[in-house]
Amino acid sequence: MAVIEVDDLTRSYRAASGIWRRSSKVIEAVKGISFEVERGELFGLLGPNGAGKTTTIKMLITLLLPTGGHARVLGQDVVKDAREVRRRVGYVFGGDRGLYERLSGLDNLKYFAELYGVPRRDQGPRIGELLELVKLDGRERERVEGYSRGMRQRLHIARGLLHKPEVLFLDEPSIGIDPVGARELRQTVASLVEGGTTVLLTTHYMFEADELCDRIAVIAGGEIVARGTPAELKRGVSGGSVLEVEVFGSAEDSMATVRSLPGVTSVVVEDRGQAQVLVVRVDTGAEVTQAVLATLGGVPVGRVATREPTLEDAYVELVETGVPA
Amino acid sequence: MTSVRVFFIGGWTSYRALFGWLSPWILIPTFIIEPVFQILFFAYVGRDAGVGDDSFFLVGNAIQFASIPCLFAMGNTIGGERYAQTLGLLLVSPARRVPLFLGRALPVIVNGLLCSLIALGLGAAILRVSIPLDSLPLLALVVAVSSFACTGLGLVAAALALRVRETAVLSNLVMGVLLIFCGVNVALSALPGWMAAVGRVLPLTHGIEAARALVSGAAWSNVRGLVVDEAVIGLGYLVIGLAMLKWFEVESRRSASLDRA
Repeated sequence: MAVIEVDDLTRSYRAASGIWRRSSKVIEAVKGISFEVERGELFGLLGPNGAGKTTTIKMLITLLLPTGGHARVLGQDVVKDAREVRRRVGYVFGGDRGLYERLSGLDNLKYFAELYGVPRRDQGPRIGELLELVKLDGRERERVEGYSRGMRQRLHIARGLLHKPEVLFLDEPSIGIDPVGARELRQTVASLVEGGTTVLLTTHYMFEADELCDRIAVIAGGEIVARGTPAELKRGVSGGSVLEVEVFGSAEDSMATVRSLPGVTSVVVEDRGQAQVLVVRVDTGAEVTQAVLATLGGVPVGRVATREPTLEDAYVELVETGVPA
Repeated sequence: MTSVRVFFIGGWTSYRALFGWLSPWILIPTFIIEPVFQILFFAYVGRDAGVGDDSFFLVGNAIQFASIPCLFAMGNTIGGERYAQTLGLLLVSPARRVPLFLGRALPVIVNGLLCSLIALGLGAAILRVSIPLDSLPLLALVVAVSSFACTGLGLVAAALALRVRETAVLSNLVMGVLLIFCGVNVALSALPGWMAAVGRVLPLTHGIEAARALVSGAAWSNVRGLVVDEAVIGLGYLVIGLAMLKWFEVESRRSASLDRA
């Protein structure tokens, strides 16, 4: 049974600029997307910055009104039944803001427990178990202004779970967290899903989506360009292989030439420490290694390797081609 | 029950969270020293110019100082949320808006009351103005009603914070308006007619007049009408503020103004 139903959802807004001579233009942040999330599922919404992920979530949690289409959460319309939706969903966003800095972690939780109508007698035990879940027990009486980024993010999670929401919206929850903290966060999210919570997660960390999500929709330019399980998405673009060439110099100059080689489907350059890595997606059976190396001229080359495509390769290709699913 | 808890506990927690003046280094100069300076300044100007008496300036300025917490703290109940990026979280909570926002007004009213009473007491001691002891309970009531009325105006400023990012500038302007139009240092009868008319629909005007009468020895029956007028004006602003909050909340969902304003 679908607990999130999104049907042709659209959101545009007017952006104004200038002080004396005001000019405005309409920006279409979300362009008629549709998807469903089943109960107990962890659904990922993947996309680059500005793709429309956060706007979509804001409509689903009732913070923004859609300009077109419909969305229902737990059977409730996000426009007409906003209060009922709010009562039953949780929302957590990434970053270190969104908390009352001058209050302790405990007071932050108590305050939101009041706002969500958690009965007084249940507040203590519920907050206690959440502090334990997010590993903040023992630090809860300290002011939030002294918390690390990871601690703040964990406190956000606890806040979002106070009222035992049936659906949890996580908007880039691991942004800016160190690798250990991010791994703990992923474990926490996985355990929530095991406990029956439906989760809609937005992220642009591919490994995070690959590890956690049952299904994924890739969104780019306000449109869904692909959807499926992580394995299906990888299979969708896995005809072929990926050639990686480590370059100690500027690899960007060669990109256009490499892209024009027969058998090459896409090229991106990634910075990795001192080096740049030319990541070349190649059709099945095509052999382009020598041709690619020849385009680099006298630029020093390090490691050269061929591998199977990952979800990240699939994502890059989908976002670059941007063809709606 | 939930709404009652949101009103009292939520209101107090929000006050602690958002009113960034709770450090003694800021609180004492702002709420104790600055009002006394203002009282002394206008009292000595009045003495030098030979207009009014010390009691006139003491009462007017002490009560006007309630507007500091009432305007700024109230404006900050939304503006501070916006700055801390907690406003979105607040607005997606299912809490009923009337207790949520009115609860935030209660500590502010108490703050305004204390601020004015301390200024009144210290100013009276320094200027040797005698205040009849038996008028003190009624005087406290008048100051409380004035703080309530000014907080109503503060709620209007708070509502505007749903539409615009900065409310402190507006609060400063309104404070100036209250200082000039409410008979704080110049009696309403000495102001041009239109200014006096504006003053009569602003908070503090009737409260200041009632407090001055009480300090001069007037009975409750003589000031009751003024206190009722002050309360009605405060209630009016409160209703306007709540209506604006509701409107701007709907508008923020429609126009995404929380992200862009």
